[in-house]
Amino acid sequence: MKTLFTKFIQISALFVILLFAGCAISGVKNPSGVPVTEMKPDERGFVAGTGIESQDIVAVTDKMARSILGIPEIANAKNPPMIVLEPIENNTRFVINKDMFLTRIRAELNSKARGKVRFLARNNMAALERERALKQSGQVTSSSDPNIVEFKGADYFLTGKFEGQHTRTSAGVSDYILYTFQLINARTSEIVWEDSAEIKKQGLEDAVYR
Amino acid sequence: MKASFISSLLFVVLVCSCTTAKYQSLVYTGDPYNDALENLKRAPQKDKVLWEYKLSVIALRKGLIEESKQHLDNALSLAGSIITNDKNARKARSLFSGESAKTFIGEPYERVMAYYYRGIIYWMQGELDNARACFRNAQIQDADAENKSYASDYVLLDYLDGFITTKLNGDGSMYYKRALESARLTKPPPYLTNANVMFFVEMGEGPKKFATGEYGQELRFSPGKSSAKKVLIKIGDKTIIAPAYDDLTYQATTRGGRVMDHIIGNKVVFKESTDTLGNAAVIGGAAVALTSKNNDVALGLIAAGLASKIIASATNPSADIRCWDNLPQYIGFGAAYLPPGQYSASVEFQNDSGETVKKLSQPIQILVPADGKDVVVFVSDSKN
Repeated sequence: MKTLFTKFIQISALFVILLFAGCAISGVKNPSGVPVTEMKPDERGFVAGTGIESQDIVAVTDKMARSILGIPEIANAKNPPMIVLEPIENNTRFVINKDMFLTRIRAELNSKARGKVRFLARNNMAALERERALKQSGQVTSSSDPNIVEFKGADYFLTGKFEGQHTRTSAGVSDYILYTFQLINARTSEIVWEDSAEIKKQGLEDAVYR
Repeated sequence: MKASFISSLLFVVLVCSCTTAKYQSLVYTGDPYNDALENLKRAPQKDKVLWEYKLSVIALRKGLIEESKQHLDNALSLAGSIITNDKNARKARSLFSGESAKTFIGEPYERVMAYYYRGIIYWMQGELDNARACFRNAQIQDADAENKSYASDYVLLDYLDGFITTKLNGDGSMYYKRALESARLTKPPPYLTNANVMFFVEMGEGPKKFATGEYGQELRFSPGKSSAKKVLIKIGDKTIIAPAYDDLTYQATTRGGRVMDHIIGNKVVFKESTDTLGNAAVIGGAAVALTSKNNDVALGLIAAGLASKIIASATNPSADIRCWDNLPQYIGFGAAYLPPGQYSASVEFQNDSGETVKKLSQPIQILVPADGKDVVVFVSDSKN
């Protein structure tokens, strides 16, 4: 009885070895895939892409806000310059919420620059004009003469452009994105400031998707 | 002894058996959108993207743009990511689960179409650069074809990329040139730079997946079919031609081998080897029992042989044939300039010989706004 049991165990063990030896994924490189990696260390979940993600928005807008504050046109201005945000041009393969970048730069500047720059709410012009018309018609009260134009003109336009270089091969996916932002003098069309940030990401998905 | 033998067999069976997520039951009431919506709710997590895909295109054909957008966004949030360390993917690689255990994101031609539809919706909503991003992303999905001459060869995607680049005051000539080089069905015309009405057309039923091989291990495509290959949009005495530029069956079948095919191939080898080994052990055990009095060895061999056969039987090398089955066979495009105003148009589908397929004709209304924004019209010969 004991001999039989021992033999059974031995033969079963042999089959277990064969089972592992015949593993179906032999010969496949990185069967579990390679997690997405990027040049800057950051935390991410297993569902991640090589596209524009929240950490990129934060990193890029932080850098741009700091950079804008350092230029003489802003730092040495006697009166806070008026800035209007112009939509960013996205020339990458990634869909983005373009407003998010400029909104965050504006919020950073407004909260940290303490009045060194002012932004004009051009996105709200329709509501502002409606309100002025109500004041002009006397339907609502006004603390100043509503017939005097007080909407301010822009001293600068803040805008940007994103360019991408994308590669997808059997070795994985690689995406390089160049973020550039410019501050343009509204009177002279001069580019008074420009800065850029670059992010490159690579990844290889699980073998079952390749 | 018997108890230990039976428990060992049970253990093997337990190890080998795979737990597969099952649907409660599919719903078919005749209303494709609501049926698919209900099936999405009932589907296991791994199949959700498939139902989101199906729903997105049904919604788009019904003119439910916001719903279609939502379904595509839900699907692409996963399908557009790089999936690693996923338990469903691990399961699909394991010996005892078929490929369909993985979370479905679709074969490249299916992912291409998800981005293509999303791009159309971005254009409808006036976000041209995001539309271009989607067309570009769609083209990238096809970039890793085994044979490089079939990589990123969707004509329409390059054409639209260049068209939008031109509309955004960029240089779209490189993309137009690439579109011309890839064109097999029809050479696209030069960009009509003042075009403000875009017609996205689709025709026929796209390819379907099936499996061949003894264990259903070989992924195959049955060709799609279409009675039309060109769409004419007639507005008064003006006719806008929107020919087919891309053939989805061609795209699905020119990808070449997949890494997953290699994994499945190894599963097949394992399944066949363990089965042969099991046969040999059982026959050997029977022979020992007949020719000698050593019943212990005979029983051991037979037990091991049976265990091996159970393992072989539980090995699952089947290919994944889940399919986005309401895709078209052909996709095409046309553009025109129309002054602001309301237009009644008729849409005619023509076959390869230029004859109108009358049953597919349909009237459409086009409203061109005065603000200069593009109008995007989506035309399909399918409603599901």
